[in-house]
Amino acid sequence: MPTHAGTPLIDARNLTRVYRRPRTSLTKQGAAVHALNDVSLTIGRGERYGIVGESGSGKSTLLRLLCALDQPTSGTITFDGRQITGRPERSLRFLRENLQIVFQDPMSSLDPRMRVRDLVAEPLVALGLPVGNRVAELLDEVGLPAAAADRYPHQFSGGQRQRIAIARALAPRPAVLVADEPVSALDVSVRGQILNLLADLVDELGLTLVFVSHDLSVVRHVCETVAVMSQGEIVETGPVDEVWAAPAHPYTRTLLQAVPTLEGLL
Amino acid sequence: MLKVEGLSVRADAVELVRDVSFEIGPGERVGLIGESGSGKSLTALSLMGLLPEGVTASGGASLDGRDLVGVPEKRLKRLRGRDLSMVFQEPMTALNPLMRIGAQVAEVMTLHGTAGRQAHARAYELLERVRLPEPRQIARAYPHQLSGGQRQRVMLAIALANEPQLLICDEPTTALDVTVQKQMLDLIAEVAPALLFITHDLAVVASVCERVLVMYGGRLVESGPIREVFARPRHRYTEGLLAASKLTPRGTRLPTIQGSVPAAGHFPGGCVFRNRCPHATPDCETAPALTGDGHAYACWHPAD
Repeated sequence: MPTHAGTPLIDARNLTRVYRRPRTSLTKQGAAVHALNDVSLTIGRGERYGIVGESGSGKSTLLRLLCALDQPTSGTITFDGRQITGRPERSLRFLRENLQIVFQDPMSSLDPRMRVRDLVAEPLVALGLPVGNRVAELLDEVGLPAAAADRYPHQFSGGQRQRIAIARALAPRPAVLVADEPVSALDVSVRGQILNLLADLVDELGLTLVFVSHDLSVVRHVCETVAVMSQGEIVETGPVDEVWAAPAHPYTRTLLQAVPTLEGLL
Repeated sequence: MLKVEGLSVRADAVELVRDVSFEIGPGERVGLIGESGSGKSLTALSLMGLLPEGVTASGGASLDGRDLVGVPEKRLKRLRGRDLSMVFQEPMTALNPLMRIGAQVAEVMTLHGTAGRQAHARAYELLERVRLPEPRQIARAYPHQLSGGQRQRVMLAIALANEPQLLICDEPTTALDVTVQKQMLDLIAEVAPALLFITHDLAVVASVCERVLVMYGGRLVESGPIREVFARPRHRYTEGLLAASKLTPRGTRLPTIQGSVPAAGHFPGGCVFRNRCPHATPDCETAPALTGDGHAYACWHPAD
């Protein structure tokens, strides 16, 4: 991937996204909902950037914009110096090659009728890249046996399915991995396995990680930088350890106090 | 008060819950923790007599001397919603979308013999008790007009309507945001008569309960006072689960339990955890019994 040293990898400026509620009257438009309100952020190369917020905070809307799955009402996003907002899908190939997503629920993000081999190879096929040995390589990277390639998603546990989703995301050798709540659907005993795997892959492959979660303690384990979102705005951003130790915004404090912990007990 | 003795649940040939025994005293708050597939929800449903078709419970369970397992539906109907009641995980599916909130809260009282007018008046009180603002307005609303947290409060109001002796909560806050979750947990701890609280979240259980039961593979593997169990787990599964729940600082490896939870019916014989346990030996092919006074565990090679 061409590098423009010095510039941030992802640079979002003044993003606003307004949705309209379905109309309830024949003569009037539906009410406007400001899902995202003047949000700016920059993500550096190799950074592990966490986005934290509760439901309705706008984190999913922001994520969709960063992945160019949706367009902002106003504002711009550049990826590696190239603008991705306001472009038709056919000219977004550079983004699709370089940015891949792992979704929350590996049961609904993997087509139940496709074999793992085809699931993992799909981004390569879609982008017209050679498949070759890549599927076996990827399965090995995420800790799945080669025999997994011939099986279907339902034959795997939740944690294994998330490994398949990660393998698929890594197929085109992206520079950025976007993970949307990748462990919230998993049991505690496998959550650690997936977080360890993500950390290893980010290190080994030099990835930039955008990690979205409702759980600040998970973000603290994974990321260096965090942006806390509430009601469509980033209310606080900074190094995660600082935000954790001394939250500046009242909302962040509320969020931190609300998280139940085991620490007092052990 | 609640006495469960040798409770088993099976679907055809597959045993989903095996030989579970525990007691809950009046006013006691007990947590039941386990991962998906551990049998924790089935245990609760069998106490309520709400097991899905084709799944049957055997063994003994009684509330204040009245049997809950193996009794006809007619008798259970009189207990359910009156002497013991339950709050489910997903309030959207548990509430009737076509009925106003007030009517749903009142319904559970009229079903158990309260007069209609009285039940409606009491519905307002209940909505107020679960700290819903503007209870009269809420009573006229339909479920879709409320937020997830508000709906869960309505569920709690319904569960409390007949002043039950025991409240069962099955993951009542899993679908909620953390700030809403905290309010809900505080409320449950405050209003519950006696509580059986089911969750996969160890930190949540620690903030609500005094005693904890740990389930894995359909068996009770450890039980005891929560501080003692969490500070000094003896069963290797509890030990692993606690270690995996702690998020260590960035750049360090998270402790994990190897492998994954097997599908129902695919747990190993003997100790159910032995295929994932780093301390397993041939001894573990024989099932260990849950032993110990107060703090009990079912493990041949317990942690120190």
